Amino acid sequence: MKYGYYPGCSLEGISVEYDISIRNLFKLLGVAVTDLPDWICCGTLAAPSISRLLGVVTPLWNVARAEEEGFDQLVAPCSACVYHLKNAVRQVADNGPLRDDVEAVLGRALNDPPVVVHPLEILTNDGFESRIRQLVRRDLSELKVVNYYGCHISRPADVMQFDDPDNPQSMDTLLGWVGVQTLEWSGKVDCCGAHFSLIKPDVVVDLSARIFEAALRSGADAIVVACPMCHANLDTRQTRLTEKLGRSLEMPVLYFSQVLGYAMGLEPELLGLNKHIVDPLPLMLEKCRGRQVEISSSARTEEIAV
Amino acid sequence: MTFRQQIEGLSGQNTNLCYQCSKCSAGCPMAEWMDLKPAQLMHSIRLDLEDRVLNSTAIWLCVDCETCTSRCPQKVEPAAVMTAARVLATQKGVTPSVKEVSIYYRGFVDNMRLNGKIHDASVAGITQLLTGQLRDNLPLAWKLFIRGRVKPPPLPLGGGEFRRLYNSALAIEKDREERR
Ligand code: SF4
Ligand code: SF4
Repeated sequence: MKYGYYPGCSLEGISVEYDISIRNLFKLLGVAVTDLPDWICCGTLAAPSISRLLGVVTPLWNVARAEEEGFDQLVAPCSACVYHLKNAVRQVADNGPLRDDVEAVLGRALNDPPVVVHPLEILTNDGFESRIRQLVRRDLSELKVVNYYGCHISRPADVMQFDDPDNPQSMDTLLGWVGVQTLEWSGKVDCCGAHFSLIKPDVVVDLSARIFEAALRSGADAIVVACPMCHANLDTRQTRLTEKLGRSLEMPVLYFSQVLGYAMGLEPELLGLNKHIVDPLPLMLEKCRGRQVEISSSARTEEIAV
Repeated sequence: MTFRQQIEGLSGQNTNLCYQCSKCSAGCPMAEWMDLKPAQLMHSIRLDLEDRVLNSTAIWLCVDCETCTSRCPQKVEPAAVMTAARVLATQKGVTPSVKEVSIYYRGFVDNMRLNGKIHDASVAGITQLLTGQLRDNLPLAWKLFIRGRVKPPPLPLGGGEFRRLYNSALAIEKDREERR
């Protein structure tokens, strides 16, 4: 399988720790990814709010570029990117006139574009269970987390074609493989307010307060996410939530890739665990039973190759 | 073309399929801040209440979380209708009822035109400056900066491809509009 990698704008900026952890996790698991050359932003909700055609053609430019490169799948760690890329593919599939316009703008036909996937899809679908289980080096069985899927991991089902839109399980399954306790809770697929963090932060504070209330009720030590926007909203606004929740809040928000990588013995810096606003390391150290020597990912890759 | 037909053309949705169960409104995380709830907006479109829809706060407050689309028993996609209404409001020059949101979308696309990708810190900074929120956010910006999460802005050297897409897509749409 030839995987192309579409980092998306957040992973080159505010969410650099997600990029670092995904790349090192992939390296450790032997998933070779090649960056999509000269990719452009997917346009998120901004491009389709200005023009219908622009909103479809912008993500598809990247998909067409990935087809040119001969990738079988295009992996995008940002669930909003995945949604916009997949949705554009679906829109032209159902709509001949739109497809003609898109191909006119692109200056080429879309023949057999690669499937766009979130890393969770690769890890849960492509037979990684035994490899992941074998690579566990730290015992995290004391760590209790809730998995927060937010909007676009599996919603809307027709577009995403992955996991259950109302009760997704992919992160619970993956973290279960490395022995982390994943709790049931009611906030799984609620919305954090996304980009309104920049526009109407009060709305995001209100919405994330409900998510934290549900997480606290469940008894979780941390929230695990798979989207840079969810992470930014939950990790950076906790001081503002103190008043709303009537208690001070310091709950680490981790990417699933950081938890997996940590369980597999990667050094914290190789997972960007030193870059959070709410420092997750004290919790990880406290909950880790039976610590093993940390190994750098290049050394580990050699170890696996043997 | 009636207003309803314009929305349906842009969104690819048949609003007449909506049977007003209001499941979309019930699950919408933004409904409590919207003047027209998603189900009311669907019905207003069917009644061709153009002014009411295009001046609503709903079309700007929708975050495209897709909860409504995902749950609609009639397989209508209110989220796509919201986006179509936003595009129409912009095309028709209706003053956005939630100004900050349109400032953000415009600024985002303009930033893409510089480089093809956005520079997230400038999009955030400019949006917050124009909406009077920059001061509140400086302490957080500093915390992100010292953690290496704020990159310097790139030189505007890329983006040629996106500018081409932008000009070409908008020209095609303008041409359609004029011929109508
Ligand atoms: S959920 Fe669907 S059918 Fe029900 S009110 Fe909303 S759009 Fe109409
Ligand atoms: S997509 Fe928009 S209208 Fe639909 S539930 Fe989400 S915020 Fe509400």
